[in-house]
Amino acid sequence: MAGRGVPLSELTPVIVQADMLTPFGAGADLCFESILAKQSAVATVKRFNTAEFTSRIAATIRDLQYHGETSLVMQMLERLFALSGPGIPADAALLLATTKGEIDLLEKSLLGKGGDSAESRLDRLLAKVADLTGARGPSAVVSAACTSSSAAVGRAAAMIRSGKTECVLVAACDSVTEFIYSGFSSLMALDAVPARPFDAARKGLSLGEAAAFSLLMSEERANREGRNILCEIAGWGMGDDANHMTGPSRASEGLISAIQGALSSAAVAPGDIDFISAHGTGTSYNDEMEMRAFRALFSATTPPVYSVKGAVGHTMGAAGLLETIIAMKSLKASTVPPTVNLQCPDNGARGWVSSEPALLKRAKRALVVNSGFSGVNTALVLNLPLVKP
Amino acid sequence: MMTISILGTGWITSKGYGTINLGEEHLFAPEETLYTVAKNGIFNRRPVKNFGRLDRLSRITLAAVSLALKDAGIDSSPDSKKDIGIVGTNDQGSQETDTAYFRDFVDNGRKLARANLFIYTLPSSPMGEAAIHFGLAGPLLYMAGAGRSLATVMVTAAEMIAGAESTLMLAGMTCGDEGIYTLLGESKAGGKCTLDNVLKSAGVDADVEKFVTTIRSLKRGQQA
Repeated sequence: MAGRGVPLSELTPVIVQADMLTPFGAGADLCFESILAKQSAVATVKRFNTAEFTSRIAATIRDLQYHGETSLVMQMLERLFALSGPGIPADAALLLATTKGEIDLLEKSLLGKGGDSAESRLDRLLAKVADLTGARGPSAVVSAACTSSSAAVGRAAAMIRSGKTECVLVAACDSVTEFIYSGFSSLMALDAVPARPFDAARKGLSLGEAAAFSLLMSEERANREGRNILCEIAGWGMGDDANHMTGPSRASEGLISAIQGALSSAAVAPGDIDFISAHGTGTSYNDEMEMRAFRALFSATTPPVYSVKGAVGHTMGAAGLLETIIAMKSLKASTVPPTVNLQCPDNGARGWVSSEPALLKRAKRALVVNSGFSGVNTALVLNLPLVKP
Repeated sequence: MMTISILGTGWITSKGYGTINLGEEHLFAPEETLYTVAKNGIFNRRPVKNFGRLDRLSRITLAAVSLALKDAGIDSSPDSKKDIGIVGTNDQGSQETDTAYFRDFVDNGRKLARANLFIYTLPSSPMGEAAIHFGLAGPLLYMAGAGRSLATVMVTAAEMIAGAESTLMLAGMTCGDEGIYTLLGESKAGGKCTLDNVLKSAGVDADVEKFVTTIRSLKRGQQA
C-alpha cells in the first residue's frame, strides 16, 4: 500500500467554515482555548446510573435532555447550526459521520418510555440533518467506527479533488448514552479517572460527546465566493489492520499505511509535517500502536504529538472532525496543544508528547490520525493556506 | 479516463448462493442453511472462526465477500494482507444488533453488558469481520443514503480506485437475508462488464437479484 499516490488535479479541497459544540461549550475557539489552558471537561456522569460500570465519568454537554422529545445528537446539532447561522449553500453535498447517531431513541423505546426504535436508524438522522442544514445535494451517512468523521473529511476532499462536486458539508456527532457507556465498560476500556493519553499510568479512555461541522469547497469556488480559506485538505489515506475487531495491530501496519497514503496524496515527506494530532485514546494498546507507527515514519524529525482526549474525552464518530478543527486552529496559532492529564510520558512517547503547549516558529502542515474498531485507521494532511500577495 | 470493471461477484439469497465468472449457482437443499454450508465450501475450505457467534449481517457479508474473491481468482487467506478495501451498505444500519445488545442489557437488570454483542453494534462491523478474515488492508467504510445504496457504494469504491486510494475495492450490500459483493478494479481490456454499464442497466435502486441478472447478462454479452 505504500507509495500509492493520488494524481494531483487542479481542484484543491479547502475548509471554508467549521465549528463545534463540545463539553466545554459552544464554539471551536472555546474548545481550543480550554485545551491550551489544560482544562478537562471530564466529570461525573449524571445522565444515567453508572454504579454498575467500570467508571463513572465522561465529558458531556450541559443542559441536554436525555430521553426527551428529541435525541441528544439532534439537540447538539440544532445548537451547533444555530451558532453558525446561514451560510451552508443549498447545493452542498452532505456527509453525515457518526457511529451511533440517535441511539438514545432506541434506548427510550426499549425502556418503554415511548417512541419507535426504528427512529434510531442512521438514514432517518441523515434526512433530519439535511433539513436542519439546508444542504440539498447528494447525501450519505459515512460510518467507520471512531474514524467516521476523518473518513468523511477524506471522502469530501476526494469528491472535490476529482471534480465530482465543488461543495460538501461534513457533519459529525455522537453522544454519551447508557447504551454506549455500558458497551465500553463491558470491553474494560474505560479509565476510572480522566483519560491520560500517552501517560505511563494510563488505564483507558474517557467517553465524550460532540457535534461538529466543516464546509469544504474547491479553492476556486471559495475564491469566487470570497470565502475565508481556513485550511487545505492536502492529503488523506485509510488503511486497515485486518487483525482484530477491538484490538489494534501489534505491527501498526494499518496506521502506517494510512499515513503513507495521506503523505503520498499530499505529495509531502514525513519531514514536512510540523506536528501530529494523535488519536490518543488513553488505552494502553492504542497509544502504543500509534507511537510505534510514528517512530517508524517520523524518527528523523520527531514532530510534536498530542491528544485532546484527556480534555474533551473520546467523542467517537465526531472525534476526527473535532480534532481536524483543533489542528487547524493549532496551525493558525503555530501552537501545539498540550496533552491534558499527561504526567509521566510512557517510554515510547517520551520526547514526542508534552503536558505543556509549545509554540512553533511557523507551522505550515499538520497530520491528523484516527483509529477505530475493526482495525480502521485514517490520516489527513492539513496545509495552512498560503498568504497570497 | 480509467475504466472500472467488475472482476468478481458473489451473492447469497435465502434460496442459494453463487458466483458470476465461475458460473456457480448452488441452491440450498431443504436442510441447508448459510451456517451449514459455511462449514463445507462457501469459504473455500477455510472455515470462519466463530462463524456461529457472528451477527447475521456479518455472516452474509463474509459469505458474499468470500464468493466475490473466489470469483475474481484472489486468494482469500488472512495471512496474505491485500491492498483491497471494502465499502458496504445495508438497509437498516445496525438496528438489529443494537436491539439485541440493549435488550440483553436490560434483561440483565442494566448491570451486565455483553462485549461480544456490543462489538457488532457498529454499521461497519460486518466489513470489519470481512477485513480480518480475508486480510483486506485497504480503506473500510459503511455508507448509506436515503434509499437503497448499492450504487452509492459501488461508485464510491470506483472513486477510491481512480484516486489511487486502493488498487481493488469490494463494494456490496446486505438486505434482509440477501447479500451481494463485487470486486472492482481497473480494467485495461475494457469489455462490457464495466461499472458504468452495470449501473446503467440495473438502475440505482436494484436489489440483489436484479444486479446478479444484470452482471450475468453483461458477462454473457461480453463472451458472445
